[in-house]
Order: sequence, then structure tokens, then C-alpha cells
Amino acid sequence: MKISKLNILIAMLLLSLTTTFAQLSKVEIVATGLTCSMCSNAINKQLKKLPEIEKVDIDLNSNTFTLFLTKNNTISPKILKESVQKAGFFVGSMIVTMAFDNQKIDNNTKLKKDNLNLIFIDSNAKILNGLQKFKVLDKGYVVMKDFKKNQKLYSKYPTYLLENEDDYHLKTL
Amino acid sequence: MKFLLMLFMIGCSVSAQELFVMTEPASNMPTGSIGARLGQSLMKEQFESGYNYHLMPEIMFGANKNLMLHASAFISNRVNGLVVEGGGFYSKYRFFTVDDVHSHFRLAVFGRASVNNADIHQEEIETMGHNTGFETGFVATQLINKTSISTTISFEKVFDNGRKNPFPAAQSNSATNYTLSFGQLVYPKTYRSLKQTNINLMVEFMGQRLNENRKSYLDIVPSFQFIINSQARVDLAYRKQIYSEMLRTAPNGIYLKLEYTFFNAIN
Repeated sequence: MKISKLNILIAMLLLSLTTTFAQLSKVEIVATGLTCSMCSNAINKQLKKLPEIEKVDIDLNSNTFTLFLTKNNTISPKILKESVQKAGFFVGSMIVTMAFDNQKIDNNTKLKKDNLNLIFIDSNAKILNGLQKFKVLDKGYVVMKDFKKNQKLYSKYPTYLLENEDDYHLKTL
Repeated sequence: MKFLLMLFMIGCSVSAQELFVMTEPASNMPTGSIGARLGQSLMKEQFESGYNYHLMPEIMFGANKNLMLHASAFISNRVNGLVVEGGGFYSKYRFFTVDDVHSHFRLAVFGRASVNNADIHQEEIETMGHNTGFETGFVATQLINKTSISTTISFEKVFDNGRKNPFPAAQSNSATNYTLSFGQLVYPKTYRSLKQTNINLMVEFMGQRLNENRKSYLDIVPSFQFIINSQARVDLAYRKQIYSEMLRTAPNGIYLKLEYTFFNAIN
């Protein structure tokens, strides 16, 4: 009787852990269409307007913006993408870092976290633990040419082709 | 043509940018930003002694990611001292974008409407500081390996400059304008910080063809541009007529433009 209660407790604990630790802690964005430091500054100023962003590191030569985010933020990749677009540019690549605690994933695993629906594709079965990096594969997060390639490559994932803005298709790195 | 090809080749091998001095690229200002520009030109009079000075303060606003608006005032010393001769509104809408990591292609449509009460003293028509009228056209900007090439084609139509200065009936009151701009970054070779001053070299070609009598001109405008603190611009340009079949009173001269961007001025 005691053991089964303990088992339930452990099971509940594990269940709660798998759905809690999925917020963004760091995001690396490569912006496209930039030609000058003034343009980089436009993106920089637009991103810094977001209260969830603690710090922006910029590599002006590769147009990479590394964003360090506040704890317990609920920001979505979509907000970050729209900020870059407001500055007049586009996201060419977005790599997000999220913390996990023994989260088992496989190809096509769907995970719901707050407003984010995470779908893992092109990812072999593994257990995520600690900080993990993912590449966002959806439209608007990769250059158009790559997105067209991805549409063919990931045609077996029905949600990828739906282009639903609240679904994020992630590839583990 | 060889010259153009050579410029193109030079442009391809180095970083550049598209904040052209004489023309606007198809790209826009960031959303919610306000730009303040002070355009000045000092053009040598061809048929009399002295210089023609124009001062054009301009306020620019990024309304959203695709739309930007400008309002300008036209001040000149053509009569006696500095006189406000008119003003104008300009708007540009980016409607097509293809972006890749090392290139982008953008198309925009633009329009300008201006009023001016200055005397009409030449066949060249120009709604930016000389004539009452409007101009509307397309701009295409291509970035290849960080180098920008931009071209515009536009239709311009002018009217009387108020009651006192009717547009001469014998002159063509409409024109087709075309421009071709090249730009390249010459400093820095490698970016270190946003505080670093950038230096750009540009060459722009500006042409006009009067629709009614087919007279045309073509100018070349080489320029230097300094971008300070990734927020301010100083442009210095020299405009030189290559040829002209129409009467122009002061085609050659220098331009000095100062610009400051207030990022996120409006949320």
C-alpha cells in the first residue's frame, strides 16, 4: 500500500516536470537582408524593446543576434520573429535554447507548453535533460529556399505542412 | 556599358549598403522610427554668376514594416535670402520581398505630391524643390553578397507653381525619370561594434526624359557617406551633368545631407 502511494507520487512528479521546463532561455537569430550596421542597430533597438530580453549580443559580421531572456518568461519565437520583421528584415535562422528535465522525445513527439506547441521532427528517440538547443524549422524562421526544401523533406509530418503559427517544429541540435 | 559592368564587379566583391544619397531604396525604415533629415544643395548657376542654395528639412516615419512616410519643406535663396517655396509628402510601400542569406530582392511603389511657388526657370521638371506636381513610380533593390544595386522608374507631372508662376505652355509638363544606384562599404572591412563609423562609396545615375518633346538629360552623382554610431548619417555628393538636351539652369553642384534616426520613437 505504501509503495503504490510512493509510485503515484513519483509518477506525478515526473509528469509535472515534463511539462514545466520548456521556456526559452537563450535565442540565436541570424537576420537576413542586412547591409549595414545601421540596419543591425534597427533590429537591436526593436528587440531591446521587449521586456523579456535581458541582453542582446550582436555579431555584426554574421548578423547574428544572441538574446538572453529573463527567467520565467512566456515569450514565443513568433514575437521575436515579428520584431525582426518590424525592423524591416527577416529571420534566416533561429536556434532556441530550452531547459528540460528527463523529457523523452522521438520523431513527431508533440509537447504542449503554455502557448507553445512543440513538435519534434527529424529528431531520433532520446531523453532531453538540461539545456538543449533546437532549430526552428517553420516558415518565417528559415530562408524561403530552405523552407521549400523542408516542405518536401518533411512531407510525412502533416502538422509541418499546415503552417500553423502556434506550432513550432523543432529539430534537436 | 563597360564602366557599368566594372562598377558592378567592384560592388560584388565588397560589403555595401543601400542608404543611397539621391534615391530611396525599396527597403523601409524600422516600424515606429522617426528620421530627421536636413538636405542641402549648392548648385552652380550656368547662365549667371553665383550659386543656387536649397535647404530641405525632412521628417520621415516608419508607419509599419512595409510603409514609410516623409514630409518635407523646400527652402531656397533663388529670390532674395532664404524663402520657403513649398513642401511635399512622399510615401513608399514595399510590396515584394525575397530574402536569402546572402541576397535579397525588394520591390516598392512610391509617390510624391508637392506644392511650390517658385518661378519656373528651366525645362527640367523636379517635384523635389522646384515644381508643383506629383511623381509616382517603382523601385527595385537587389542585394548580392552584401552589395546593393537599386533602380527606380517613375512618372512625373507638374502644374502651375501657383497663380503667379504658370507652367509655360511650350514646355513638356510630364517626364519619365530613371535612376540606377550602386553602393559599397569601404570601411570597416570587419565590424567590431555599433559605435564604429562606416564609410560608404556610392555612384548614382539620374536621368529624365520629357514626355512631350523627348528631350533628356543624364547626371552622374558620386558620393561619400559616413554612418556614425549606427544612428546618424552624413552624405556628401557631387552632381555632374553627363549630357542634356533640355534647358537646366544649375545642374552641377554639391549636396550635403545630415540625417538622424530616432529608433522606436513611437510604439
